[in-house]
Amino acid sequence: MAPLPVSLEPDPVIEAYKKDVDRTLLRENLKLSPEARLRKLQDFVAFTAVLRDAGRRSRT
Amino acid sequence: MTGPTDFAALLQRLLDVEVEFILVGGLAANVHGSARATFDVDVVYRRTGDNLDRLVRALAPVQPYLRGAPPGLPFVLDAGTLRRGLNFTLTTAIGDIDLLGEVVGGGDYDALLPQSASIEMFGRSCQCVSLPTLIRLKRAAGRPKDLEAIAELEALREEREHD
Repeated sequence: MAPLPVSLEPDPVIEAYKKDVDRTLLRENLKLSPEARLRKLQDFVAFTAVLRDAGRRSRT
Repeated sequence: MTGPTDFAALLQRLLDVEVEFILVGGLAANVHGSARATFDVDVVYRRTGDNLDRLVRALAPVQPYLRGAPPGLPFVLDAGTLRRGLNFTLTTAIGDIDLLGEVVGGGDYDALLPQSASIEMFGRSCQCVSLPTLIRLKRAAGRPKDLEAIAELEALREEREHD
């Protein structure tokens, strides 16, 4: 299956969303290695799991 | 699976047995520098017989099962199952993984390989789809929920170009 040609021309909807992107977060991530970016994501995902469990416990 | 996906462990399992795969989706976006959270691993895998065997060898020990399916279905991840299907959304004992035989806008492993780059992680080389191609894939998928993600990826590309 060959790749479909997809335009990368500016899309007005995407351009509108782009104004709200927090580029400071991107610049910080770009200072990290790919492996460090993945470990940072892992830490965040683990943190959300802790919060989710705490929320679940508080409802029971 | 009850805990969060262990991204490193899942990738290392695939790399340990030399599965031919390309990292795509949200995790690829994070590898490129995205700040958006993702909770699973998406890979485009090569559908050769040898590679299907390697994929099974990598994942069978972590009890792969169809994500969201009711428990107790007679699902077994083996080469025959992979051959009969194409895209699988799985949960495992160490996290969620999507095995994609093809992706909209990108095609199969062989079509996507020239659009990917080797990235060093965990002392190994891992193929990851390039940022422009990741944007192209997200655009081709045409999902409204991806619009913010595409905007971030395009901003990321601009930031990298300014470096």
